[in-house]
Amino acid sequence: MTGAGRIETIVVDGGLPVIVLWGEHDLSTAPELRARLHDLAGTGAVIVDLDQTTFVDSSILGVLVGGLRRSREADVPFGLVVGDEPHQAIRRIFELTGLYDVFPIYGSRENALAALTARGEAP
Amino acid sequence: MTAPAADVTLVVPAVPDSIAVIRQTVSGICEALGADARTVGDVKLAATEACTNVVLHAYSDGDAGTIELGAYAHDDELRLLVRDRGAGMTPAPMAGGLGLGLPLIAALTSTLTIVEPDDGGTEVSMTFALRDTFADA
Repeated sequence: MTGAGRIETIVVDGGLPVIVLWGEHDLSTAPELRARLHDLAGTGAVIVDLDQTTFVDSSILGVLVGGLRRSREADVPFGLVVGDEPHQAIRRIFELTGLYDVFPIYGSRENALAALTARGEAP
Repeated sequence: MTAPAADVTLVVPAVPDSIAVIRQTVSGICEALGADARTVGDVKLAATEACTNVVLHAYSDGDAGTIELGAYAHDDELRLLVRDRGAGMTPAPMAGGLGLGLPLIAALTSTLTIVEPDDGGTEVSMTFALRDTFADA
């Protein structure tokens, strides 16, 4: 499909799953992201890696906010990886919506894993 | 008032998979017009949000509808029209979004106009400056 992004859940060292988004994401991939977040409900931490993501819209932000809310209700650490040099489009929408201040955001997957497995959500 | 002839027109089904088609189209238009990367990103996001509104809100369940895109370039400005033929703007309490779509479009555009044409549906008109006024400041 033209421009459609790809979502995978990978298991990293230590056994924690990480949801990784490649490419562009919008309403067409939001249901898959929502389902994958639900699948992680029983894990020790929820990490969504946007380092390889080139575009997200408000549909995706809505799913991420829902995931953050559910994680907080379940007392499960939640973090986003956007990279130290996030793609311009990713940085732009987070700035415009003020969500940089809402999500725990990490510059690398390794930093997110280290912080969240130690139960510290602050980046 | 007669609408100007569109530089580019596109009609696609009002389904989620069509949004990327619109996005790729406006991206190509912007790049052909020499827009900077930030402007291209802003146009892609605004067009995506406008089309998402059509898919989520314009048509009743089961109705086959369309998204109509018109793109008009004039001097250093790009105007996009996103039009549906649905029931007009109606709240969709079950959509489950953050309600960020229209505020985002307003933040990304030079001007934003939303009208309900006499022959039905909703038309969102967005204009963008193709080059950053302050880029050389």
